[in-house]
Amino acid sequence: MPITSGHETETPPKLGGGGPGKISRRRGYGGDDGDHGRPDDFSSSRSRLRRYRVGVALFSVCVTMLFLGIGSAYVVTQGMGPWNHEAGSRVSIWRPLLLPYRQLWLNSLLLIASSVTLEFARRGMLKKQEFSTMGIRPPRFKTEFPWLAITVVFGLGFLAGQFLVWNTLRHQGVYLGGAASGSFFYTLTGLHAVHLAGGLAVLLYALCGDWTGRKFESQQIAVDATGWYWHFMALLWFGIFALLHFARG
Amino acid sequence: MEERSTSSTAVSTPGFLRRCVFSTDHKVVGLQYFFLSFAAVLIGTVLSLLMRIHLVWPTVSLPFFGTIKPENYLAFLTMHGTLMVFFVLSTVPQSGFGNYFLPLQLGVSEMAFPKLNAAGFWTTLLSFLILIAAFFVPGGASGAGWTQYPPLSAIANSGPGQALGTDLWLVSMGLFCVASVMGAINFITTTLKMRTPGMDLMRMPLTCWTWFVTAILSLLAFSVLLAAVILLLLDRNAGTAFFVPAGLIVSGKAVAQTGGSPLLWQHLFWFFGHPEVYIAILPGMGVTSHVLSVFSRKPVFGYRAMVWAIVAIGFLGFLVWGHHMFVSGMNPYAAFAFSALTTAIAVPSAIKTFNWIGTIWDGRIRFTTPLLFSVGFVSLFITGGLTGPLLAQPALDIYLHDTYFVVAHFHLIMAMAGLFAIFAATHFWFPKMFGRMMNERLGALHFWITFLGSYAIFMPMHLLGTAGHPRRYSELTGVQYVAAMAPLQKFVTVAAIITMSGQIIFLVNFFWSMFKGPTAPANPWECTTLEWTLPSPTPAGGFGEHVPMVNRGAYEYSAPGAETDYLMQDAPGS
Ligand code: HEM
Ligand SMILES: [Cu+2]
Repeated sequence: MPITSGHETETPPKLGGGGPGKISRRRGYGGDDGDHGRPDDFSSSRSRLRRYRVGVALFSVCVTMLFLGIGSAYVVTQGMGPWNHEAGSRVSIWRPLLLPYRQLWLNSLLLIASSVTLEFARRGMLKKQEFSTMGIRPPRFKTEFPWLAITVVFGLGFLAGQFLVWNTLRHQGVYLGGAASGSFFYTLTGLHAVHLAGGLAVLLYALCGDWTGRKFESQQIAVDATGWYWHFMALLWFGIFALLHFARG
Repeated sequence: MEERSTSSTAVSTPGFLRRCVFSTDHKVVGLQYFFLSFAAVLIGTVLSLLMRIHLVWPTVSLPFFGTIKPENYLAFLTMHGTLMVFFVLSTVPQSGFGNYFLPLQLGVSEMAFPKLNAAGFWTTLLSFLILIAAFFVPGGASGAGWTQYPPLSAIANSGPGQALGTDLWLVSMGLFCVASVMGAINFITTTLKMRTPGMDLMRMPLTCWTWFVTAILSLLAFSVLLAAVILLLLDRNAGTAFFVPAGLIVSGKAVAQTGGSPLLWQHLFWFFGHPEVYIAILPGMGVTSHVLSVFSRKPVFGYRAMVWAIVAIGFLGFLVWGHHMFVSGMNPYAAFAFSALTTAIAVPSAIKTFNWIGTIWDGRIRFTTPLLFSVGFVSLFITGGLTGPLLAQPALDIYLHDTYFVVAHFHLIMAMAGLFAIFAATHFWFPKMFGRMMNERLGALHFWITFLGSYAIFMPMHLLGTAGHPRRYSELTGVQYVAAMAPLQKFVTVAAIITMSGQIIFLVNFFWSMFKGPTAPANPWECTTLEWTLPSPTPAGGFGEHVPMVNRGAYEYSAPGAETDYLMQDAPGS
């Protein structure tokens, strides 16, 4: 649903829930964190949104590197045990885990569901932001279908589910300080949970913004940026899951 | 993410705390990084002096301290390396000058994420304080070297300084990684999204190019170091065994943990570690290109080639980490690949060196202090760089590894070259930062002492290394072939004492000029880049409401047909 704005003369920005690429490039917007003292300035809120999207993309690269580092350590450790001098070869001392697949799939479903609901929330707020820049006062998103609140519930559900997974493994006698397979399992899933909790915190911030009097624009940018981050977190989760499954030894 | 009224219009002047301490202004943040590194470099220098004294006069008793015991020496070594590599060379050129001048050179008054930027500084400060705190805990600071090789670093009771000191080192490094990543996201977004109209990528000053590429390296490399640090912390505190091999015996006692590999740490660490040396040196290369062009009154020779060399160095830097591990028992074929790739980095490095020489060649050179230090940079980079391809041959490195030869190599090419770039940048931008000029005479004197001193300290180390003197030993009493090198070691120590005393000239010049130096005009060096369109010192609001329009590249010196011998980037016409 393309909307033309009066402010931009070059290419009209294509809005309506597109990805970062859909916003027209407008070079050289010198500015600060918010705007040029003109809070309703359409292009300034655009460029701010664009900056946050770039920031989230870069942060995702950084998180990817973190997990690639640990993931490659996992693959290497799984593949080679200590050297046995008598035998003249490596002996594998890797102890494969019995993954609680049913629980893990349930959690995965929760995470996908939260990604979908967050996408609805993100698109809805983006539209509303367009209207607001056209001078139409944005209705508060609270009055709408509460996609954001549902996302938070699903996200919390995923974290709780992961906690249950760890509990199951503990009952099997798999500990962080035990065999390497367990150490890697807790480290990988634990760090993923920490990163997801960070995203959850931002969503809560946006959700509470209604009561704490945050500007709608800030809430919208928070939800948009977290949206992309959240999708990335879901992808990352499947990467971890695949690693744990295919390289389980 | 909350709204801020623009700082450009000074409606009400905020208080001192908001203005100078808890500020989100990129200039204030840049200066904060700058002074943090000032503290770090002072501590780091004192530590190196203590090490040099101990190597030559091991029994001398220091005031307030007593004699230096071997574990003290190792702690000094570790802290010296960590402070210098992280808090000086990775901090001033990038976070200090970069924060201050990247936005200004791009023609904007703010970074993309000012709050994140300030948070990055405070995280760095916290990391610094935690590192220093390690001196005062039981057992003292970590003694495992700036590379923290396991398994000893993974076992809490493996020696003095290996207890709480090492945990603090790891926490400090973890925080430093987080802070670096924050800064990197900010730099990249600013470069990509905030440039003023007309500032095409290929019109950016080379300083901006190096800050940009360095930020990309930081983003990719520090994340991997963070991963390694987390795993090592878990090994030490949660009973995991990522880096602890089977059957390890420490101090006569079998270690319970088993099943990991210490080599894993080396891979993770050096995957970060080699890009890290470019994080330390790339911004210095940018400053050198910039300063050489300004004071030769000539455009940078081969601007495009310079840009591609920066990018190529950044890219290749991620493929060569194995050259630090030739003695780890790696597959000879892998060693060959790492060796070939390492040697390949000599190509873009040589392109840069030739272009620096090409830039000053036949120029109308103005012999200012910044120029002297930049020429010094090129000299040190060549001298240190020539030993790189030697160390990159596995057969040679197996002999030279962990000797003073390596110490000579990386101090000349990284430590000294990096410092010279920092000195050049400080003298060059001092007028813009503090509104006053530094003293040229003292500057030149300081340059010559430091330049000759650097060579006097580090050239003999090549000989020590080829004669087989190992590094990282506090004392090698009773080893005959080492005892024969004592006179050379003494020479190095004396040279170090003289050179370090020479730094007092810089301190005096710096602080005296800050308060008493002659007032600086807006553009004392007659430069073309946008920061010099502003008054000196830079006003709090930067460009304010003014949006500079860029019409040409950054190095229009002695342009044919122009009235002045330089054309500002935003001067009308093209
Ligand atoms: C021509 C380019 C270069 C080549 C071929 C090269 C090669 C090498 C090699 C092979 C080593 C390993 C030596 C050993 O462990 O025995 C080494 C060590 C080192 N290099 Fe370079 N290098 C180059 C440029 C640089 C630059 C630009 C820097 C810094 C800015 C640097 C900093 C270091 C440092 C700090 C070490 C010491 C690592 C340790 O603690 O063992 N090098 N270099
Ligand atoms: Cu290297």
